[in-house]
Amino acid sequence: MFALSRASVRSVSRSALRSFAAVQTADKHTLILVRHGESTWNLENKFTGWYDCPLSDKGHEEVKEAGRLIKAEGLSADIAFTSLLQRAIRTLWHVLEQTGLMWIPVHKAWELNERHYGALQGLDKQETVNKYGKDQVLVWRRSYDIPPPTVDKSSPHHPSNDPRYAGFDFPEEFTESLATTLDRVVPFWNKTVVPEIKSGKTVMIAAHGNSLRALVKHLDGIDEATIAELNIPTGTPLIYELDDNLKPIPQVGAIAPLQGRYLGDQDAIRARIEGVKNQTK
Amino acid sequence: MFRSIFVLVASFASCSAFTANGFHGNFARNKSPSTALSMAHTLVLVRHGESTWNQENRFTGWVDCPLNEKGIQEATSGGKILREEGFTFDKAYTSTLKRAIKTLWLILEELDLMYIPIVNLWKLNERHYGALQGLNKQETVDKHGKDQVLVWRRSYDIPPPPVDESSEYFPGNDPMYKNVPKSELPKAESLKLTEERFMSDWENVILPEIKSGKKILIAAHGNTLRALVKHLDDISSDDITELNIPTGVPLVYELDEVTLKPIPHPDAIAPLKGRYLGDQEDIRRRIGAVLAQTK
Repeated sequence: MFALSRASVRSVSRSALRSFAAVQTADKHTLILVRHGESTWNLENKFTGWYDCPLSDKGHEEVKEAGRLIKAEGLSADIAFTSLLQRAIRTLWHVLEQTGLMWIPVHKAWELNERHYGALQGLDKQETVNKYGKDQVLVWRRSYDIPPPTVDKSSPHHPSNDPRYAGFDFPEEFTESLATTLDRVVPFWNKTVVPEIKSGKTVMIAAHGNSLRALVKHLDGIDEATIAELNIPTGTPLIYELDDNLKPIPQVGAIAPLQGRYLGDQDAIRARIEGVKNQTK
Repeated sequence: MFRSIFVLVASFASCSAFTANGFHGNFARNKSPSTALSMAHTLVLVRHGESTWNQENRFTGWVDCPLNEKGIQEATSGGKILREEGFTFDKAYTSTLKRAIKTLWLILEELDLMYIPIVNLWKLNERHYGALQGLNKQETVDKHGKDQVLVWRRSYDIPPPPVDESSEYFPGNDPMYKNVPKSELPKAESLKLTEERFMSDWENVILPEIKSGKKILIAAHGNTLRALVKHLDDISSDDITELNIPTGVPLVYELDEVTLKPIPHPDAIAPLKGRYLGDQEDIRRRIGAVLAQTK
């Protein structure tokens, strides 16, 4: 008898909470974005792009913390997307482990890869500056649509020489700018991610600086000059609420020009966003 | 002329003899293509390693407990052996339970294959242990008697007592299975029931991928792997309940391209036709096989 009445009380308050939650979350689609943590080539100060280096020890810890933050926020996800590069995949795996979601379907796609750095991949950043001059390198790194020099099929950095890209056709001469990155991120978003969101699924994306820049540029309507300078801190969950038209609902605590909000120590995050501007990536 | 015909016939006869003994030559029957190993489909199975509940000696089933440190080591070792022997894969399957998923992740990390697609199939989950889930094995023996517990554990077709639909151990109450019709979810399973629900995914999901030429890795559980090898190797219901598949040890099958039947490997330990990778002495000790036994 005691058990029964406790159960009824619980179920009444549960259903009250459910209807309250339903009103709150109606027409809202949660999207969780995480940029992968520090990689070994970040440490070695090399241009990475599509090179498949792993997370550094610090990177592992950063993204475990990201997972803990997402869990503490009470967020869950139904499906996840990531790139074909292990630093993003490992990031996702850490987050899924921390949030108890190791079982959800994961879709891996080259379209979420970091921007390809053409002939600069593998080169030391300082050496490249010494060789080409600071201004030229800055153009290649921060211009919206001027890509670095290309690699051809004789280069180990050309995707045709990596079995994970078998079945995909890449140009003989290959390189990417943020503009061309967006040209492959946004169609992927529209074709593959949007239907999942519209079917009511909460989506999590673990990806890279430039693929996430492309995505938020699209979501938040950010202009080219601003997006080229925008820094998305690593391992910091970025939460969007999208309406039924998949437009972001501006979040309390969002840091312009983004309409999504970061989870974690807000002061530290602001400092990181500002600070990275002066660093080499 | 008769002598040459005789020689010709004799040589054909000996060709067939070779084939019957498992020698794979290009001169076998004309109708079927070569069954040389390079034309076979590679399938690798790995049973997940020790979990925290193994350590605590509790019936686990569908309870989603993690690997312990030893289980992590076992998975990493399995991955290392696969890497040393030059294995690669196009796609991987695992269950929805983290001890198998983690095992797979650790192996793929060792192999530098983290980018391959992974599919989580609930039908690859361990056998559901019904109302015994969560109970300590010794306590259960004390309560129900050694013989009854032995029946529940090692019988082919007698399931343990079922869980109630309101139980936390009924998968219908777990958000993980919210997209599965409740009528399909188990309340208790025998090895036979596990086999029946797994085999539909084997036939409809995994086998087509194998046929299309993809190299497949499956990281799963003791009873679902038993179900699979029972089917692949034609093992009897009596023999399968006693079969021990050692944890973290890659089990390699080469399936004939045409028949999809395993090509028996010379290093296979009966009744399996696939071979384990790793220290063979150690493996035999772990599965309790007698060295002199061959089939």
